[in-house]
Amino acid sequence: MKITILSGKGGTGKTTVSNNLAVLVKESFLIDCDVEEPNSHIFMAPEITEEEEIRTGYPVVDEDKCIHCRKCADFCHYNAIIAGAAATMPLKDLCHDCGGCQLVCPAGAISYEKKGIGTIFSGTSRFGSRFLYGQLYTGELSGVKIINRLNEKMSHSDLVLVDSPPGTSCSTVAALEGSDYAVIVTEPTPFGVSDMKMVVEMLKEMNIPFSVVVNKAGLGDNEVYEYCSEENLTITGEIPFERIVAEAYASGKLAVEISEEHKSLYRNLWLNIQKEAERSHES
Amino acid sequence: MKVKEIVVISGKGGTGKTTFTASLAPFLKDVVIADCDVDAPDLHILLNPRIEEESIFSGSAKARIDEDLCTRCNLCAEHCRFGAIDKTPRINPMKCEGCGVCEYICPADAITLKDVTTGKVYKGITEYGPMVHARLVPGEETSGKLVSRVRNEAKKRAESEEKPYVLIDGSPGIGCNVISSITGASTVVIVTEPTLSGLHDLKRVLEVAARFSGKAYVVINKYDLSREMSEKIEIEAEKSGAPVLMKLPFDKKIVQAVTGKKIPSLAEEELFLSAGWKNLLKTLTAE
Ligand code: SF4
Ligand code: SF4
Repeated sequence: MKITILSGKGGTGKTTVSNNLAVLVKESFLIDCDVEEPNSHIFMAPEITEEEEIRTGYPVVDEDKCIHCRKCADFCHYNAIIAGAAATMPLKDLCHDCGGCQLVCPAGAISYEKKGIGTIFSGTSRFGSRFLYGQLYTGELSGVKIINRLNEKMSHSDLVLVDSPPGTSCSTVAALEGSDYAVIVTEPTPFGVSDMKMVVEMLKEMNIPFSVVVNKAGLGDNEVYEYCSEENLTITGEIPFERIVAEAYASGKLAVEISEEHKSLYRNLWLNIQKEAERSHES
Repeated sequence: MKVKEIVVISGKGGTGKTTFTASLAPFLKDVVIADCDVDAPDLHILLNPRIEEESIFSGSAKARIDEDLCTRCNLCAEHCRFGAIDKTPRINPMKCEGCGVCEYICPADAITLKDVTTGKVYKGITEYGPMVHARLVPGEETSGKLVSRVRNEAKKRAESEEKPYVLIDGSPGIGCNVISSITGASTVVIVTEPTLSGLHDLKRVLEVAARFSGKAYVVINKYDLSREMSEKIEIEAEKSGAPVLMKLPFDKKIVQAVTGKKIPSLAEEELFLSAGWKNLLKTLTAE
Protein backbone atom coordinates (compact mmCIF):
# COMPACT_ATOMS: atom_id res chain seq x y z
CA MET A 1 0.00 0.00 0.00
CA LYS A 2 1.22 3.45 -0.92
CA ILE A 3 -0.01 6.37 1.15
CA THR A 4 0.97 9.83 0.00
CA ILE A 5 1.02 12.75 2.38
CA LEU A 6 0.52 16.08 0.68
CA SER A 7 -0.54 19.65 1.29
CA GLY A 8 -1.74 22.70 -0.58
CA LYS A 9 1.37 24.66 0.19
CA GLY A 10 4.59 24.12 2.03
CA GLY A 11 4.92 24.51 5.76
CA THR A 12 1.60 23.01 6.79
CA GLY A 13 3.24 19.98 8.36
CA LYS A 14 3.51 17.38 5.62
CA THR A 15 6.97 16.39 6.74
CA THR A 16 5.92 16.42 10.39
CA VAL A 17 3.04 14.02 9.77
CA SER A 18 4.84 11.66 7.41
CA ASN A 19 7.98 11.45 9.56
CA ASN A 20 6.21 10.91 12.86
CA LEU A 21 4.12 8.18 11.28
CA ALA A 22 7.17 6.59 9.70
CA VAL A 23 8.84 6.32 13.10
CA LEU A 24 5.78 4.75 14.70
CA VAL A 25 4.82 2.37 11.94
CA LYS A 26 7.82 0.10 12.12
CA GLU A 27 7.39 -1.78 8.86
CA SER A 28 6.94 1.36 6.78
CA PHE A 29 9.27 2.70 4.15
CA LEU A 30 9.50 6.50 4.01
CA ILE A 31 10.17 8.23 0.70
CA ASP A 32 10.75 11.96 0.47
CA CYS A 33 9.58 13.02 -2.99
CA ASP A 34 9.83 16.73 -2.27
CA VAL A 35 12.99 16.81 -4.35
CA GLU A 36 13.21 20.59 -4.58
CA GLU A 37 13.29 21.00 -0.82
CA PRO A 38 13.74 17.62 0.78
CA ASN A 39 13.55 17.99 4.55
CA SER A 40 12.78 14.53 5.88
CA HIS A 41 16.43 13.54 6.00
CA ILE A 42 16.99 16.26 8.57
CA PHE A 43 14.75 14.36 10.99
CA MET A 44 15.53 10.85 9.80
CA ALA A 45 19.31 11.51 9.78
CA PRO A 46 19.82 8.42 7.65
CA GLU A 47 22.95 6.48 7.14
CA ILE A 48 23.22 6.56 3.36
CA THR A 49 24.28 3.30 1.81
CA GLU A 50 23.57 4.02 -1.83
CA GLU A 51 23.55 7.04 -4.10
CA GLU A 52 22.27 7.19 -7.62
CA GLU A 53 22.59 10.13 -9.94
CA ILE A 54 19.54 10.76 -12.11
CA ARG A 55 20.32 11.94 -15.57
CA THR A 56 18.52 13.42 -18.48
CA GLY A 57 19.44 13.62 -22.13
CA TYR A 58 19.96 16.72 -24.22
CA PRO A 59 20.81 17.05 -27.91
CA VAL A 60 24.18 17.85 -29.39
CA VAL A 61 24.51 18.81 -33.02
CA ASP A 62 27.30 17.54 -35.25
CA GLU A 63 28.11 20.69 -37.18
CA ASP A 64 29.82 18.70 -39.94
CA LYS A 65 26.62 16.88 -40.74
CA CYS A 66 24.13 19.69 -40.09
CA ILE A 67 22.66 21.16 -43.29
CA HIS A 68 21.07 24.09 -41.42
CA CYS A 69 17.57 23.24 -42.45
CA ARG A 70 16.24 24.39 -39.03
CA LYS A 71 13.76 21.54 -38.85
CA CYS A 72 14.86 20.71 -35.31
CA ALA A 73 14.26 24.23 -34.03
CA ASP A 74 10.90 24.43 -35.77
CA PHE A 75 9.87 21.19 -34.18
CA CYS A 76 10.95 21.81 -30.59
CA HIS A 77 7.92 22.86 -28.55
CA TYR A 78 10.05 24.25 -25.75
CA ASN A 79 12.26 26.53 -27.88
CA ALA A 80 15.24 24.54 -26.74
CA ILE A 81 17.11 24.83 -30.04
CA ILE A 82 18.26 27.99 -31.74
CA ALA A 83 19.00 27.48 -35.42
CA GLY A 84 20.73 30.17 -37.41
CA ALA A 85 22.02 30.17 -40.94
CA ALA A 86 25.42 28.95 -39.87
CA ALA A 87 25.02 27.31 -36.48
CA THR A 88 22.51 25.18 -34.61
CA MET A 89 22.59 25.53 -30.86
CA PRO A 90 20.61 23.41 -28.39
CA LEU A 91 19.88 24.99 -24.99
CA LYS A 92 20.18 22.06 -22.68
CA ASP A 93 18.43 23.69 -19.71
CA LEU A 94 15.18 24.04 -21.66
CA CYS A 95 15.21 20.58 -23.24
CA HIS A 96 12.61 18.07 -22.01
CA ASP A 97 14.46 15.17 -23.63
CA CYS A 98 11.51 14.24 -25.85
CA GLY A 99 13.62 12.88 -28.69
CA GLY A 100 11.78 14.91 -31.32
CA CYS A 101 14.66 16.86 -32.82
CA GLN A 102 16.62 13.71 -33.55
CA LEU A 103 13.54 12.22 -35.15
CA VAL A 104 12.99 15.13 -37.53
CA CYS A 105 16.60 15.84 -38.45
CA PRO A 106 17.06 14.75 -42.10
CA ALA A 107 20.85 14.84 -41.82
CA GLY A 108 21.29 12.59 -38.81
CA ALA A 109 23.18 15.41 -37.14
CA ILE A 110 21.66 15.07 -33.69
CA SER A 111 22.72 12.74 -30.92
CA TYR A 112 22.14 12.89 -27.18
CA GLU A 113 24.39 13.36 -24.25
CA LYS A 114 23.52 12.93 -20.59
CA LYS A 115 23.73 15.32 -17.70
CA GLY A 116 22.86 14.85 -14.05
CA ILE A 117 19.82 16.65 -12.66
CA GLY A 118 19.83 15.29 -9.13
CA THR A 119 20.60 12.43 -6.80
CA ILE A 120 18.66 9.73 -5.01
CA PHE A 121 19.94 8.70 -1.58
CA SER A 122 18.92 5.41 0.03
CA GLY A 123 19.66 4.27 3.50
CA THR A 124 18.48 3.54 6.99
CA SER A 125 17.08 6.23 9.25
CA ARG A 126 18.30 6.81 12.79
CA PHE A 127 15.16 4.92 13.84
CA GLY A 128 16.24 1.87 11.89
CA SER A 129 13.64 2.13 9.15
CA ARG A 130 14.16 2.21 5.41
CA PHE A 131 14.36 5.69 3.96
CA LEU A 132 14.83 7.14 0.50
CA TYR A 133 15.00 10.69 -0.74
CA GLY A 134 15.81 12.62 -3.86
CA GLN A 135 17.43 15.98 -4.32
CA LEU A 136 17.21 18.14 -7.43
CA TYR A 137 20.33 20.11 -8.33
CA THR A 138 20.04 23.88 -7.96
CA GLY A 139 18.90 25.55 -11.16
CA GLU A 140 17.32 22.44 -12.68
CA LEU A 141 13.80 22.88 -13.99
CA SER A 142 11.93 19.77 -13.04
CA GLY A 143 12.27 16.94 -10.58
CA VAL A 144 9.72 14.71 -12.28
CA LYS A 145 12.37 12.29 -13.58
CA ILE A 146 13.78 11.88 -10.08
CA ILE A 147 10.33 11.30 -8.63
CA ASN A 148 9.54 8.73 -11.30
CA ARG A 149 12.70 6.86 -10.39
CA LEU A 150 11.82 7.05 -6.69
CA ASN A 151 8.46 5.53 -7.61
CA GLU A 152 10.19 2.68 -9.40
CA LYS A 153 12.42 1.99 -6.43
CA MET A 154 9.50 1.79 -4.01
CA SER A 155 7.24 -0.33 -6.14
CA HIS A 156 8.13 -3.62 -4.40
CA SER A 157 7.44 -2.47 -0.87
CA ASP A 158 4.41 -3.35 1.21
CA LEU A 159 3.82 -0.12 3.05
CA VAL A 160 5.17 3.09 1.63
CA LEU A 161 4.69 6.53 3.11
CA VAL A 162 5.43 9.34 0.70
CA ASP A 163 6.28 12.89 1.69
CA SER A 164 5.04 14.62 -1.48
CA PRO A 165 6.04 17.98 -2.94
CA PRO A 166 3.55 20.66 -1.87
CA GLY A 167 0.97 22.19 -4.18
CA THR A 168 -0.56 20.72 -7.30
CA SER A 169 2.25 20.91 -9.82
CA CYS A 170 3.52 18.19 -12.11
CA SER A 171 5.89 17.00 -9.39
CA THR A 172 2.98 16.38 -7.03
CA VAL A 173 1.14 14.47 -9.72
CA ALA A 174 4.27 12.37 -10.28
CA ALA A 175 4.57 11.65 -6.55
CA LEU A 176 0.91 10.59 -6.41
CA GLU A 177 1.29 8.10 -9.25
CA GLY A 178 0.17 4.69 -8.03
CA SER A 179 -1.00 5.91 -4.61
CA ASP A 180 -3.73 3.89 -2.93
CA TYR A 181 -4.59 6.63 -0.51
CA ALA A 182 -3.71 10.23 0.24
CA VAL A 183 -3.67 12.39 3.34
CA ILE A 184 -3.96 16.16 3.00
CA VAL A 185 -2.27 18.07 5.78
CA THR A 186 -3.75 21.51 6.24
CA GLU A 187 -3.91 24.26 8.81
CA PRO A 188 -6.94 26.14 10.12
CA THR A 189 -6.28 29.46 8.41
CA PRO A 190 -7.80 31.10 5.33
CA PHE A 191 -4.57 30.29 3.48
CA GLY A 192 -4.79 26.66 4.49
CA VAL A 193 -8.33 26.30 3.20
CA SER A 194 -7.68 28.09 -0.05
CA ASP A 195 -4.63 25.96 -0.87
CA MET A 196 -6.29 22.76 0.17
CA LYS A 197 -9.19 23.26 -2.24
CA MET A 198 -6.88 22.86 -5.19
CA VAL A 199 -5.45 19.64 -3.81
CA VAL A 200 -8.94 18.26 -3.27
CA GLU A 201 -9.77 19.06 -6.90
CA MET A 202 -6.64 17.28 -8.09
CA LEU A 203 -7.19 14.15 -5.98
CA LYS A 204 -10.78 13.88 -7.18
CA GLU A 205 -9.63 14.14 -10.75
CA MET A 206 -7.01 11.45 -10.18
CA ASN A 207 -9.53 9.26 -8.37
CA ILE A 208 -7.44 8.79 -5.26
CA PRO A 209 -9.35 8.44 -1.98
CA PHE A 210 -8.17 10.74 0.79
CA SER A 211 -8.78 12.24 4.19
CA VAL A 212 -7.67 15.38 5.96
CA VAL A 213 -5.39 16.07 8.91
CA VAL A 214 -5.67 19.48 10.55
CA ASN A 215 -2.29 20.55 11.87
CA LYS A 216 -1.68 23.49 14.19
CA ALA A 217 -5.23 23.05 15.46
CA GLY A 218 -6.22 25.84 17.80
CA LEU A 219 -4.17 28.50 16.05
CA GLY A 220 -6.69 29.73 13.53
CA ASP A 221 -10.43 29.65 12.94
CA ASN A 222 -13.17 27.24 11.91
CA GLU A 223 -13.16 27.73 8.16
CA VAL A 224 -11.37 24.45 7.48
CA TYR A 225 -13.90 22.46 9.53
CA GLU A 226 -16.80 24.15 7.79
CA TYR A 227 -15.29 23.43 4.39
CA CYS A 228 -14.71 19.75 5.26
CA SER A 229 -18.23 19.25 6.48
CA GLU A 230 -19.74 21.01 3.44
CA GLU A 231 -17.70 18.83 1.12
CA ASN A 232 -18.16 15.70 3.18
CA LEU A 233 -14.45 15.20 3.72
CA THR A 234 -13.26 12.97 6.53
CA ILE A 235 -10.93 14.46 9.10
CA THR A 236 -8.71 11.63 10.34
CA GLY A 237 -6.90 13.68 12.92
CA GLU A 238 -6.06 16.96 14.53
CA ILE A 239 -2.64 17.93 15.75
CA PRO A 240 -2.73 20.79 18.21
CA PHE A 241 -0.28 23.64 17.89
CA GLU A 242 2.23 23.36 20.72
CA ARG A 243 5.23 25.51 21.23
CA ILE A 244 7.35 22.63 22.54
CA VAL A 245 6.73 20.68 19.35
CA ALA A 246 7.66 23.69 17.22
CA GLU A 247 10.83 24.14 19.24
CA ALA A 248 11.74 20.48 18.98
CA TYR A 249 11.09 20.59 15.24
CA ALA A 250 13.44 23.57 14.98
CA SER A 251 16.28 21.43 16.26
CA GLY A 252 15.50 18.36 14.17
CA LYS A 253 13.45 16.38 16.69
CA LEU A 254 10.08 14.77 16.09
CA ALA A 255 6.97 14.96 18.26
CA VAL A 256 6.99 11.20 18.91
CA GLU A 257 10.35 11.64 20.58
CA ILE A 258 9.04 14.14 23.09
CA SER A 259 6.51 12.20 25.11
CA GLU A 260 4.11 9.27 25.35
CA GLU A 261 1.18 11.62 24.75
CA HIS A 262 2.58 12.66 21.43
CA LYS A 263 3.22 9.05 20.55
CA SER A 264 -0.35 8.09 21.24
CA LEU A 265 -1.62 11.05 19.26
CA TYR A 266 0.18 9.78 16.18
CA ARG A 267 -0.76 6.18 16.95
CA ASN A 268 -4.42 7.18 16.89
CA LEU A 269 -3.91 9.16 13.74
CA TRP A 270 -2.38 6.11 12.10
CA LEU A 271 -5.26 3.86 13.18
CA ASN A 272 -7.76 6.32 11.72
CA ILE A 273 -5.87 6.62 8.46
CA GLN A 274 -5.57 2.86 8.13
CA LYS A 275 -9.25 2.39 8.82
CA GLU A 276 -10.25 5.03 6.31
CA ALA A 277 -7.86 3.70 3.69
CA GLU A 278 -9.32 0.20 4.03
CA ARG A 279 -12.86 1.48 4.05
CA SER A 280 -12.32 3.48 0.87
CA HIS A 281 -10.99 0.41 -0.90
CA GLU A 282 -13.88 -1.77 0.09
CA SER A 283 -16.49 0.64 -1.17
CA MET B 1 11.52 55.94 -14.77
CA LYS B 2 12.95 52.61 -13.77
CA VAL B 3 10.64 50.27 -11.95
CA LYS B 4 12.15 48.58 -8.92
CA GLU B 5 11.03 45.00 -8.42
CA ILE B 6 11.04 43.73 -4.86
CA VAL B 7 10.50 39.98 -4.75
CA VAL B 8 9.74 38.09 -1.56
CA ILE B 9 10.71 34.43 -1.57
CA SER B 10 11.35 31.63 0.89
CA GLY B 11 13.00 28.27 0.68
CA LYS B 12 10.04 26.12 1.49
CA GLY B 13 6.51 27.34 1.90
CA GLY B 14 4.92 28.23 5.19
CA THR B 15 7.66 30.51 6.47
CA GLY B 16 5.42 33.57 6.34
CA LYS B 17 6.33 34.79 2.87
CA THR B 18 2.79 35.83 1.92
CA THR B 19 2.10 37.39 5.31
CA PHE B 20 5.26 39.42 4.95
CA THR B 21 4.49 40.49 1.37
CA ALA B 22 1.02 41.65 2.38
CA SER B 23 2.60 43.55 5.27
CA LEU B 24 4.88 45.45 2.89
CA ALA B 25 2.13 46.48 0.46
CA PRO B 26 0.62 49.40 2.44
CA PHE B 27 4.07 50.79 3.19
CA LEU B 28 5.35 51.04 -0.38
CA LYS B 29 3.70 54.10 -1.76
CA ASP B 30 2.68 53.78 -5.40
CA VAL B 31 3.11 50.10 -5.87
CA VAL B 32 1.83 47.44 -8.23
CA ILE B 33 1.43 44.09 -6.52
CA ALA B 34 1.92 40.68 -8.12
CA ASP B 35 1.33 37.23 -6.71
CA CYS B 36 3.70 34.87 -8.50
CA ASP B 37 2.96 31.94 -6.21
CA VAL B 38 0.64 30.56 -8.87
CA ASP B 39 0.44 27.11 -7.28
CA ALA B 40 -0.96 28.47 -4.03
CA PRO B 41 -1.99 32.09 -4.56
CA ASP B 42 -2.97 33.47 -1.17
CA LEU B 43 -2.00 37.13 -1.25
CA HIS B 44 -5.44 38.16 -2.51
CA ILE B 45 -6.96 36.78 0.68
CA LEU B 46 -5.30 39.58 2.65
CA LEU B 47 -5.26 42.30 0.00
CA ASN B 48 -8.74 41.63 -1.28
CA PRO B 49 -8.56 43.03 -4.82
CA ARG B 50 -11.64 44.00 -6.78
CA ILE B 51 -11.20 41.98 -9.98
CA GLU B 52 -11.47 44.04 -13.15
CA GLU B 53 -10.33 41.57 -15.73
CA GLU B 54 -9.99 37.82 -15.95
CA SER B 55 -8.19 36.05 -18.76
CA ILE B 56 -7.34 32.52 -19.73
CA PHE B 57 -3.77 31.38 -19.91
CA SER B 58 -2.76 28.60 -22.22
CA GLY B 59 0.77 27.58 -21.44
CA SER B 60 0.90 24.23 -23.11
CA ALA B 61 -0.68 21.82 -25.50
CA LYS B 62 -1.71 18.22 -25.08
CA ALA B 63 -2.03 15.43 -27.59
CA ARG B 64 -5.37 13.96 -28.57
CA ILE B 65 -6.09 10.81 -30.53
CA ASP B 66 -8.87 10.61 -33.07
CA GLU B 67 -10.19 7.08 -32.48
CA ASP B 68 -11.66 6.86 -35.98
CA LEU B 69 -8.37 7.53 -37.74
CA CYS B 70 -6.17 5.49 -35.40
CA THR B 71 -4.95 2.17 -36.85
CA ARG B 72 -3.54 0.91 -33.50
CA CYS B 73 -0.01 0.75 -34.86
CA ASN B 74 1.23 1.90 -31.42
CA LEU B 75 4.11 3.91 -32.84
CA CYS B 76 3.06 6.83 -30.66
CA ALA B 77 3.26 4.80 -27.47
CA GLU B 78 6.66 3.46 -28.48
CA HIS B 79 8.07 6.93 -29.05
CA CYS B 80 6.58 8.76 -26.08
CA ARG B 81 9.35 9.28 -23.55
CA PHE B 82 7.01 10.47 -20.83
CA GLY B 83 5.01 7.28 -20.49
CA ALA B 84 1.90 9.26 -21.37
CA ILE B 85 0.50 6.85 -23.96
CA ASP B 86 -0.54 3.29 -23.15
CA LYS B 87 -1.02 0.37 -25.53
CA THR B 88 -4.74 1.10 -26.16
CA PRO B 89 -3.50 3.69 -27.29
CA ARG B 90 -4.82 6.25 -24.89
CA ILE B 91 -3.21 9.51 -23.74
CA ASN B 92 -2.88 10.39 -20.09
CA PRO B 93 -3.20 14.18 -20.10
CA MET B 94 -1.57 14.45 -16.67
CA LYS B 95 1.63 12.99 -18.09
CA CYS B 96 1.59 14.49 -21.57
CA GLU B 97 4.17 17.26 -21.92
CA GLY B 98 2.96 18.44 -25.31
CA CYS B 99 6.24 17.71 -27.06
CA GLY B 100 4.61 16.76 -30.36
CA VAL B 101 6.57 13.57 -31.03
CA CYS B 102 3.44 11.42 -31.24
CA GLU B 103 1.77 13.85 -33.61
CA TYR B 104 4.86 13.77 -35.82
CA ILE B 105 5.30 10.01 -35.80
CA CYS B 106 1.66 8.98 -36.36
CA PRO B 107 1.33 7.63 -39.92
CA ALA B 108 -2.46 7.95 -39.85
CA ASP B 109 -2.57 11.61 -38.81
CA ALA B 110 -4.73 10.56 -35.90
CA ILE B 111 -2.97 12.72 -33.32
CA THR B 112 -3.11 16.48 -32.95
CA LEU B 113 -1.86 18.81 -30.27
CA LYS B 114 -4.51 21.05 -28.76
CA ASP B 115 -3.87 24.11 -26.61
CA VAL B 116 -5.18 23.68 -23.12
CA THR B 117 -6.09 26.14 -20.42
CA THR B 118 -3.37 25.86 -17.83
CA GLY B 119 -4.29 28.83 -15.71
CA LYS B 120 -6.19 32.04 -15.23
CA VAL B 121 -4.85 35.54 -14.80
CA TYR B 122 -6.69 38.14 -12.73
CA LYS B 123 -6.15 41.88 -12.78
CA GLY B 124 -7.64 43.98 -10.05
CA ILE B 125 -7.37 46.93 -7.70
CA THR B 126 -6.56 46.78 -4.00
CA GLU B 127 -6.62 49.55 -1.46
CA TYR B 128 -2.85 49.91 -1.93
CA GLY B 129 -2.50 49.66 -5.67
CA PRO B 130 -3.25 47.52 -8.70
CA MET B 131 -2.72 43.80 -8.32
CA VAL B 132 -2.14 40.90 -10.72
CA HIS B 133 -2.51 37.31 -9.66
CA ALA B 134 -3.09 33.97 -11.28
CA ARG B 135 -4.11 30.46 -10.57
CA LEU B 136 -2.70 27.34 -12.13
CA VAL B 137 -5.03 24.53 -13.06
CA PRO B 138 -4.12 21.65 -10.71
CA GLY B 139 -1.60 19.24 -12.17
CA GLU B 140 -0.32 21.63 -14.80
CA GLU B 141 3.34 22.34 -15.06
CA THR B 142 3.93 25.37 -17.22
CA SER B 143 3.90 27.56 -14.17
CA GLY B 144 7.23 29.14 -15.09
CA LYS B 145 5.50 30.77 -18.04
CA LEU B 146 2.50 31.78 -15.98
CA VAL B 147 4.80 33.33 -13.38
CA SER B 148 6.52 35.36 -16.10
CA ARG B 149 3.17 36.45 -17.46
CA VAL B 150 2.01 37.73 -14.04
CA ARG B 151 5.28 39.49 -13.45
CA ASN B 152 5.30 41.11 -16.87
CA GLU B 153 1.70 42.29 -16.56
CA ALA B 154 2.52 43.91 -13.23
CA LYS B 155 5.65 45.54 -14.61
CA LYS B 156 3.80 46.89 -17.65
CA ARG B 157 1.18 48.36 -15.39
CA ALA B 158 3.81 49.99 -13.18
CA GLU B 159 5.51 51.48 -16.21
CA SER B 160 2.36 52.84 -17.77
CA GLU B 161 1.14 54.33 -14.50
CA GLU B 162 4.62 55.51 -13.54
CA LYS B 163 4.72 53.62 -10.29
CA PRO B 164 8.21 53.11 -8.88
CA TYR B 165 7.67 49.70 -7.26
CA VAL B 166 6.46 46.26 -8.16
CA LEU B 167 6.04 44.09 -5.09
CA ILE B 168 6.07 40.38 -5.85
CA ASP B 169 5.06 37.43 -3.74
CA GLY B 170 7.45 34.94 -5.30
CA SER B 171 7.15 31.21 -5.71
CA PRO B 172 8.44 28.90 -3.02
CA GLY B 173 11.16 26.37 -3.72
CA ILE B 174 14.20 26.61 -5.95
CA GLY B 175 12.82 25.26 -9.23
CA CYS B 176 11.77 26.90 -12.46
CA ASN B 177 9.02 28.98 -10.85
CA VAL B 178 11.21 30.74 -8.39
CA ILE B 179 13.78 31.39 -11.08
CA SER B 180 11.04 32.93 -13.24
CA SER B 181 9.93 35.10 -10.35
CA ILE B 182 13.34 36.51 -9.44
CA THR B 183 15.43 36.63 -12.63
CA GLY B 184 16.60 40.18 -13.14
CA ALA B 185 14.80 41.59 -10.09
CA SER B 186 16.74 44.27 -8.26
CA THR B 187 15.83 43.25 -4.72
CA VAL B 188 15.04 39.88 -3.22
CA VAL B 189 13.84 39.38 0.34
CA ILE B 190 14.15 35.85 1.67
CA VAL B 191 11.78 35.04 4.51
CA THR B 192 13.05 32.16 6.59
CA GLU B 193 12.43 30.54 9.95
CA PRO B 194 14.88 29.33 12.57
CA THR B 195 14.61 25.60 12.03
CA LEU B 196 17.09 23.09 10.74
CA SER B 197 15.09 22.80 7.56
CA GLY B 198 14.86 26.59 7.31
CA LEU B 199 18.64 26.83 7.47
CA HIS B 200 19.04 24.01 5.01
CA ASP B 201 16.68 25.63 2.50
CA LEU B 202 18.16 29.08 3.01
CA LYS B 203 21.53 28.00 1.72
CA ARG B 204 19.98 26.78 -1.50
CA VAL B 205 17.80 29.85 -1.92
CA LEU B 206 20.73 32.19 -1.36
CA GLU B 207 22.56 30.37 -4.12
CA VAL B 208 19.65 30.78 -6.51
CA ALA B 209 19.22 34.46 -5.59
CA ALA B 210 22.91 35.16 -6.10
CA ARG B 211 22.80 33.55 -9.51
CA PHE B 212 19.67 35.12 -10.91
CA SER B 213 19.00 38.47 -9.26
CA GLY B 214 20.35 41.60 -7.60
CA LYS B 215 20.69 42.35 -3.91
CA ALA B 216 19.33 39.81 -1.42
CA TYR B 217 18.16 40.38 2.16
CA VAL B 218 16.92 38.03 4.84
CA VAL B 219 14.01 38.26 7.27
CA ILE B 220 13.86 35.73 10.09
CA ASN B 221 10.30 34.96 11.07
CA LYS B 222 9.45 33.40 14.46
CA TYR B 223 13.12 33.89 15.38
CA ASP B 224 12.53 33.18 19.08
CA LEU B 225 11.41 29.60 18.44
CA SER B 226 15.10 28.80 18.34
CA ARG B 227 17.55 31.56 19.09
CA GLU B 228 20.40 29.17 18.45
CA MET B 229 19.15 28.37 14.96
CA SER B 230 18.45 32.05 14.40
CA GLU B 231 22.07 32.84 15.07
CA LYS B 232 23.20 30.18 12.64
CA ILE B 233 20.94 31.69 9.99
CA GLU B 234 22.39 35.13 10.64
CA ILE B 235 25.90 33.79 10.19
CA GLU B 236 24.94 32.00 6.99
CA ALA B 237 23.22 35.10 5.60
CA GLU B 238 26.15 37.32 6.53
CA LYS B 239 28.52 34.94 4.79
CA SER B 240 26.56 35.22 1.56
CA GLY B 241 26.40 39.00 1.75
CA ALA B 242 22.65 39.03 2.42
CA PRO B 243 22.04 41.10 5.57
CA VAL B 244 19.32 40.13 8.03
CA LEU B 245 16.98 43.12 8.06
CA MET B 246 14.40 42.02 10.57
CA LYS B 247 13.73 39.38 13.18
CA LEU B 248 10.07 38.89 13.93
CA PRO B 249 9.14 36.96 17.07
CA PHE B 250 6.57 34.19 17.09
CA ASP B 251 3.31 35.73 18.24
CA LYS B 252 -0.18 34.29 18.04
CA LYS B 253 -1.45 37.78 17.27
CA ILE B 254 0.07 37.58 13.82
CA VAL B 255 -1.75 34.32 13.10
CA GLN B 256 -4.92 35.87 14.47
CA ALA B 257 -4.53 38.89 12.21
CA VAL B 258 -4.14 36.62 9.18
CA THR B 259 -7.09 34.49 10.26
CA GLY B 260 -9.15 37.68 10.50
CA LYS B 261 -7.92 38.54 6.99
CA LYS B 262 -6.12 41.61 8.30
CA ILE B 263 -2.69 42.80 7.26
CA PRO B 264 -0.35 42.01 10.19
CA SER B 265 1.88 45.08 9.82
CA LEU B 266 -1.19 47.29 10.20
CA ALA B 267 -3.04 45.23 12.79
CA GLU B 268 0.07 44.66 14.92
CA GLU B 269 2.18 47.66 14.03
CA GLU B 270 3.93 47.80 17.43
CA LEU B 271 5.24 44.31 17.00
CA PHE B 272 6.64 45.12 13.58
CA LEU B 273 8.18 48.39 14.73
CA SER B 274 10.03 46.71 17.56
CA ALA B 275 11.36 44.08 15.15
CA GLY B 276 13.13 46.53 12.86
CA TRP B 277 10.34 47.42 10.44
CA LYS B 278 11.46 51.06 9.86
CA ASN B 279 14.99 50.05 9.05
CA LEU B 280 13.78 47.36 6.69
CA LEU B 281 11.53 49.77 4.81
CA LYS B 282 14.34 52.28 4.53
CA THR B 283 16.74 49.70 3.13
CA LEU B 284 14.28 48.27 0.64
CA THR B 285 13.28 51.65 -0.73
CA ALA B 286 16.78 53.14 -0.88
CA GLU B 287 17.99 53.81 -4.42
S1 SF4 C 1 14.78 16.52 -27.39
FE1 SF4 C 1 12.77 17.50 -27.62
S2 SF4 C 1 12.80 19.09 -26.09
FE2 SF4 C 1 14.92 18.48 -26.36
S3 SF4 C 1 15.69 19.92 -27.89
FE3 SF4 C 1 14.99 18.08 -28.99
S4 SF4 C 1 12.89 18.59 -29.59
FE4 SF4 C 1 13.46 20.06 -27.99
S1 SF4 D 1 17.31 19.37 -38.30
FE1 SF4 D 1 19.39 18.52 -38.39
S2 SF4 D 1 20.23 19.36 -40.26
FE2 SF4 D 1 18.40 20.56 -39.84
S3 SF4 D 1 19.21 22.32 -38.65
FE3 SF4 D 1 18.62 20.77 -37.16
S4 SF4 D 1 20.52 19.63 -36.78
FE4 SF4 D 1 20.83 20.77 -38.66
